[in-house]
Amino acid sequence: MLELFTYDFMQRSLLAAALVGALCSTIGVFVVLRGLAFMGAGTAHAAFAGVALGYLMGWPPLLMALLFGLATVWITGWVEEKGRMKLDVSIGILYTATMALAILFIGLMKTYNAEVYGYLFGNVLAVTSEELFTIAGLSIIVIGAIVLFSKELYFIAFDQEMAEASGVPARRVFFLLLTLVALTVVISLKTVGGILVFAMILIPASTAYQLTHSLSTLTWYSIMIGVFCSVGGVLISSYWDIPSGPAIVLLATLLFFVAVLLSPKRQRQSLAVT
Amino acid sequence: MAIQPPPFIHFDHATFGFPGVTALEDISLEIQSGEFVGVIGPNGSGKTTLCRAVLGLMAPLKGHLRIFDCACDELRCHHRAKIGYLPQKGVVDRNFPVTVLETVTMGRYGALGLFKRPGRKDREIAMESLAHVGMDMHKDTALGHLSGGQQQRVFIARALAQQPQILLLDEPTTGLDITTQHNVVELVQHLHEELGLTVLLITHDINMIRSRVDRLVLLKTRLYAAGPPADVLKPDILSQVYGKDLVITENDLVIVEDYHHHH
Repeated sequence: MLELFTYDFMQRSLLAAALVGALCSTIGVFVVLRGLAFMGAGTAHAAFAGVALGYLMGWPPLLMALLFGLATVWITGWVEEKGRMKLDVSIGILYTATMALAILFIGLMKTYNAEVYGYLFGNVLAVTSEELFTIAGLSIIVIGAIVLFSKELYFIAFDQEMAEASGVPARRVFFLLLTLVALTVVISLKTVGGILVFAMILIPASTAYQLTHSLSTLTWYSIMIGVFCSVGGVLISSYWDIPSGPAIVLLATLLFFVAVLLSPKRQRQSLAVT
Repeated sequence: MAIQPPPFIHFDHATFGFPGVTALEDISLEIQSGEFVGVIGPNGSGKTTLCRAVLGLMAPLKGHLRIFDCACDELRCHHRAKIGYLPQKGVVDRNFPVTVLETVTMGRYGALGLFKRPGRKDREIAMESLAHVGMDMHKDTALGHLSGGQQQRVFIARALAQQPQILLLDEPTTGLDITTQHNVVELVQHLHEELGLTVLLITHDINMIRSRVDRLVLLKTRLYAAGPPADVLKPDILSQVYGKDLVITENDLVIVEDYHHHH
């Protein structure tokens, strides 16, 4: 197994997985606490539609993914703020509409394009050096923004109205969070794929949520779980020759169920019942 | 003659609402520094709208509202930080991973401003606030593990950690048992007296606060009465707002007439 680490492509993919794991699990804390899980899933599909349009028109796919992702989060954020309709309804509509667009764009392509499917299912083992640099650069920007605004992000996740009332610019921080979610999805698209990226945002934070009652501990647990699952998933995938995206996500899911079973919160609740 | 300082909160013929819906109409009211004011009125009378307006979250459609002598739609974050707000009790997610001290420290965030992290001074203020509400020994407990009354105390401490000049409480006793309701209102009165806080308390429970507040404000979209409790709680005024079923008993309790007859 150790000789795996000597290959260049393996070092690149492990590094990419660790970065994406850390990134997704950090932003995931705020997504889970603020109750934006479904919005993120919608963003991932919108971003994929952007990739498909990019390949169809010969435009840069990741840039298109970013535009589609940002449009989705901003529209849904705006709808939630106006309270015009329930958030799950507006996301549900955008989610299926962007998926329909993706299928349409792929259908319009004259030839089968394997690269497009790479963005749908992800392949961390195929990450190039340039892509690794892009991932690293964008990760630094996103994590930097989270560190800079962490106290405001925590507060709006806890209670946005209370945050606004106590003098935190809550609306702007909320839209910052939405923008960071879209960026994270786009950065992670190539490694875990459009379908699975959301699992990487959701599962580590939800697993950590089972294990602690403190906000700061939650964040550290989430990052550790995210990095562990991404790196572990890549190793499993290359050792047993299975696709990397599912390996990462299934490992994270397994860990989640173990955490649910061992959760001190769950034990406390069952004690309270008996 | 000494110049009177401007009132903390000054409604001047202010109307609030959304297009087509008037929540509060033609309100004129001044609240001075150091007052303890109770706001009462039936459901849907605009009490929560009044609260949002004072927080600067809602500009008047007509008229003016000035807070700290500043137009309410120009209220900046640092102004809001001077108003400690206890929102209507929502359902706190019992598993939300936050400790009591973390919750109270959030009260410092608005005053700190962006990019600054809470330091030792802020933790001291948070601990002091917890001591004021008698919850300092629970600082590391998960918020979700506390009882409803204890959670209200923690949220009041969070408001105090802002080191506010005004304490604004929206239905602080909803969903609490009768002893706990009493304790929470008593705590608010104690904070008003000890810290000299201006308090604006919105409630359904007239009898709970009538003996404690300096002034009562009676709302039902319009302002029906404002003044010392004895002047506001008069049968003719109450019947205009609540209908004819309310009576005032010999020992000054406001109750529904039906109940009075049967007992």
